[in-house]
Amino acid sequence: MPGKKSLHIESSGQLCVYCGACVGVCPLNCIYLDETRITFDERICTRCEICVKACPVGAIEID
Amino acid sequence: MAKNLTTDVLVVGGGPSGSMTAKWAARHGARVLLIEKRQEIGSPVRCGEGMSKEWLKEVGITPSPRWINLEVEGARIFSPSEKVFEINEKHAGNEVGYVVERDAFDKQLAIDAANAGAEIHLKTAATGLLKEGGRVVGVRAKEFGEPFEIRAKVTIGADGFESQVGRWAGIPTNLALRDMDSCLQYRMTDVDCDVRYCDFYLGTVAPGGYVWVFPKADGLANVGIGVQLSQIQEPAAARTFLDRWIDKHPGYAKGKKIDVVGGGVSISPPLKQTVADGIMLVGDAARMIDPLTGGGIANGCIAGKICGEVAAKAVHDGTPTKEFFQTYEKGWRARLEEKLYRNWLAKEKLCSLSDETFNKVVDALVDVKLEKLTVHNILKAVRDKYPEVTKEFEAFL
Repeated sequence: MPGKKSLHIESSGQLCVYCGACVGVCPLNCIYLDETRITFDERICTRCEICVKACPVGAIEID
Repeated sequence: MAKNLTTDVLVVGGGPSGSMTAKWAARHGARVLLIEKRQEIGSPVRCGEGMSKEWLKEVGITPSPRWINLEVEGARIFSPSEKVFEINEKHAGNEVGYVVERDAFDKQLAIDAANAGAEIHLKTAATGLLKEGGRVVGVRAKEFGEPFEIRAKVTIGADGFESQVGRWAGIPTNLALRDMDSCLQYRMTDVDCDVRYCDFYLGTVAPGGYVWVFPKADGLANVGIGVQLSQIQEPAAARTFLDRWIDKHPGYAKGKKIDVVGGGVSISPPLKQTVADGIMLVGDAARMIDPLTGGGIANGCIAGKICGEVAAKAVHDGTPTKEFFQTYEKGWRARLEEKLYRNWLAKEKLCSLSDETFNKVVDALVDVKLEKLTVHNILKAVRDKYPEVTKEFEAFL
């Protein structure tokens, strides 16, 4: 989407510990945890970056 | 396609709050189905595993060596300058307690629910709510990936910190940045922990939170941190601050990590609303975590018992309405809300203190013999030694 930053959630297990902190904190409820996979809804996400702060291991990046 | 199911009470989530709700609903005669999205109740563990004990009897849990690692004598509060204030059982009003094996604890509570008559389905995730005329009448779910529907007279959201159920039902559960901690913990072996104490390190070592060391056995401990989202800037703050703390403590820096867990913890004031037509929320999903300690098990279980009883009564009377569920809303609040609110205020205050003030407070406490640890007694001790610090606590007086 033009003008929208890109959000990347590393959930292959290199960083992510599947704790769900990002899911619980998302104000728009658009991040989903499915045991060992995390996805988010590109259309709903506003790139508020709260999940970036919540992630204890730095697995979420915005650029 | 899996076969559609119907039940009286559907509990979404097989943690302590869910199992407790399921048990008490079943005991009061309701048909209960508990669904858990994971393949194993209690695993992976996402918990520091420290737990008070005075509430267990109230909710019908019998302490067992199967899930108790050890019983501590007290807690130690470390100021930023690492002066130690010890809270023992006597002045903590019996609130210190056990270090537990959470996966075994959760399994025992699920067994208790099953023994009371509840059905349990694993690998079963709720994917949305079924609604009729604005009332929740069950969930859409997937069991081993197969979609199906579960119709229920009462649906319980016990789906933890990352709760979806409450939000689907339109119950506001969003958290402000200052009302959430980002947490990380290592289980470490070959560390110099003291099995007599649960340790808490306060101040800028953990902005807006604390570092904890909960001993599991000689040389084995859960070493973790919680940091408040409003006080951190850089990504991976929880890990950065925890690693920094460990590096500075030789007794832990020499240890080896055998496990890492992360998690979010709400440290918010109580929610304004935890029920809607056909649905009730309980435990972490209802933001019932103690905002001062970050502990959620006791409150979740206490509310779970009330929730289960009200759910069974609603089924019996045929009244699963928001109005009827006020019995639960009022019941859990009567038991927990005052302390939740008081501890939230205390947390707000503590989060704003400088290291220097923390040092003075702990210093004042160390020097006096407190009979009973109350806010009043703490403030008096601080006022006697550092009158200028007391100004910061005027709101509590």
